Amino acid sequence: MLLRAYTRDWTALFFGFFFPLIFMGIFGILNFGSFGHVALGIVDNADNADSQAFRAALGRVETLQLSSGTSDDQLARLQKGDRDIVLVIPADFKVAAARPGAAVPTLTLYANQGRGEQVAVGSAILTQVIDQMSFAITQTAPVVAMKREEIAGRNLKYVDFLTPGIVGMTIMQLGVASVMFSFVVDRQRGVIRRIMATPISRRNYMAAHVLERLLLAIVQVLILIAVAVFAFNVTIVGSLGLVLAIAVLGSVLFLCFGFAVTGFVTTENQAPAILQLVTLPQMFLSGVFFSRDAVPAFLKPVSDVLPLTFLNDALRQVSTAGAGIVDVGRDVIGIVVWSAIMFFIAFRFFKLET
Amino acid sequence: MTVAPIVSVRELRKRYGQIKAVDGVSFDVHEREIFALLGPNGAGKTTTVEILEGLRSADSGTALVAGVDVRKDPSGVKERIGVQLQQSAFPENFLAQEVVDLFALFHGRKVDSLALLRAVGLEDKAKQKSEKLSGGQRQRLSIAVAMVNEPQVLFLDEPTTGLDPQARRNLWDLIRDIRKRGTTVFLTTHYLDEAEVLCDRVAIIDAGRIIALDSPQALITKLLGRGFSKPVPQQQANLEDVFLDLTGHALRED
Repeated sequence: MLLRAYTRDWTALFFGFFFPLIFMGIFGILNFGSFGHVALGIVDNADNADSQAFRAALGRVETLQLSSGTSDDQLARLQKGDRDIVLVIPADFKVAAARPGAAVPTLTLYANQGRGEQVAVGSAILTQVIDQMSFAITQTAPVVAMKREEIAGRNLKYVDFLTPGIVGMTIMQLGVASVMFSFVVDRQRGVIRRIMATPISRRNYMAAHVLERLLLAIVQVLILIAVAVFAFNVTIVGSLGLVLAIAVLGSVLFLCFGFAVTGFVTTENQAPAILQLVTLPQMFLSGVFFSRDAVPAFLKPVSDVLPLTFLNDALRQVSTAGAGIVDVGRDVIGIVVWSAIMFFIAFRFFKLET
Repeated sequence: MTVAPIVSVRELRKRYGQIKAVDGVSFDVHEREIFALLGPNGAGKTTTVEILEGLRSADSGTALVAGVDVRKDPSGVKERIGVQLQQSAFPENFLAQEVVDLFALFHGRKVDSLALLRAVGLEDKAKQKSEKLSGGQRQRLSIAVAMVNEPQVLFLDEPTTGLDPQARRNLWDLIRDIRKRGTTVFLTTHYLDEAEVLCDRVAIIDAGRIIALDSPQALITKLLGRGFSKPVPQQQANLEDVFLDLTGHALRED
């Protein structure tokens, strides 16, 4: 019955369910943090069969985004930042065995200094393609062979990284915000007082609230994961059961957190400000949207012990690296310790009535 | 034959710091009467009522409600009474009917919520959100909710404050109706006309003490007996009568 009323509360529904999905959508589509492509401009001054074969070979490399044009045009684009590399193919370009000591056609490469990473990757690819063509002509086997092995066989996309962060953030929001708003408002409007005039005990009343929210949190986490998996192709590497178990632990933590904070909020007007105060720092310092490596050194000690950090780390370890319960033991202990602290504060300061 | 009073209060005291909110209050309420605690704001009406409802603890004294000692078993009292609080609201986003069901749940009961709403004239509002109801409708919903556990005593704390004359009269009819069905009604008010037309007996409370207790007519007779007369003779009608004559007696639903 409480759930039915919840579905009628559009604001709560929006912030509880759609907001995290929108976040995931935006960041998932933008695919921040991924390397992307190398924009390669080609100026083909030869335009013969060999140069066309060379260009075709380049075109098969996925990472390269090819475009071609006149030298002036491509260089101008390079200066504007539209190209990472401009490759000029000389008019005497040919692919043929060269006599030792003879001059070979020389490719000229203009590199965009501001895009070092892309330039490095781009030139490596070019070198490889040229080497392959050379070997094909000279018929010599490579002197050294390099075997490449994909590590763990996974290609971590940004959404893979993001999903556990969003799950963690949602658990925090659902815990803190929903407890704070519903209790502060109900307390101020006299709803709780009216309910306390019925024989229901405080314990049962609180238990109902906690259970309802735990249930909601689980549903929400399942929806988020389902969307992540089916819409964004996110792979949950570790066990889904463990992810859910950690999510439940996290919900308990943030429910305690919510009750603890609500103990210090007396009016409806204070609620949003205090909510931002306690959740915003965690949103940015606990690795929701980007890795905690980006946190400045002086904030690192704070970031290391924030409640959401433990939750996010545990979720991320399991979902992206397939960690087991033992691997995330430290984080789980962190969550439990925080829960205990928050439970104590809530027990001490939270009041049903003012 | 004397029937034991359904509410019996003896020497009830409650203080907040230096303020004696309730200062030795004693009175009885008989079964099936409409009893009012009358007094100015801050006289101790609400504190007294909330002690009887088991919402506040008294410092000393005894209070028996429906045979249960409030100070020893507040939850036992809550099972036997229905309450309407002065400043209270229902959870948001519930339909009127759901509010009734929800509170029945809090009492561990299952009720015919539509019948309860029909009894307060809200049957057609059953599918409306409780916060969208008008002031008078909300008060009637609140009475329907208070009746979910078939209470022996119905406590109403300033039920008509803030209502327009039609809604007030409508609520009075409802209260009389509830009494007719066998429920004792205990209300507080600061409207004297309300106490006069509605109540069997009134207790006047001021500064935490009961200063008079009798039927409205007896109190008036006593006053007249002391040689009191109004400086200006009372007119046969007043402005409220004009207002009701012009706007109609029936309750307006908007």
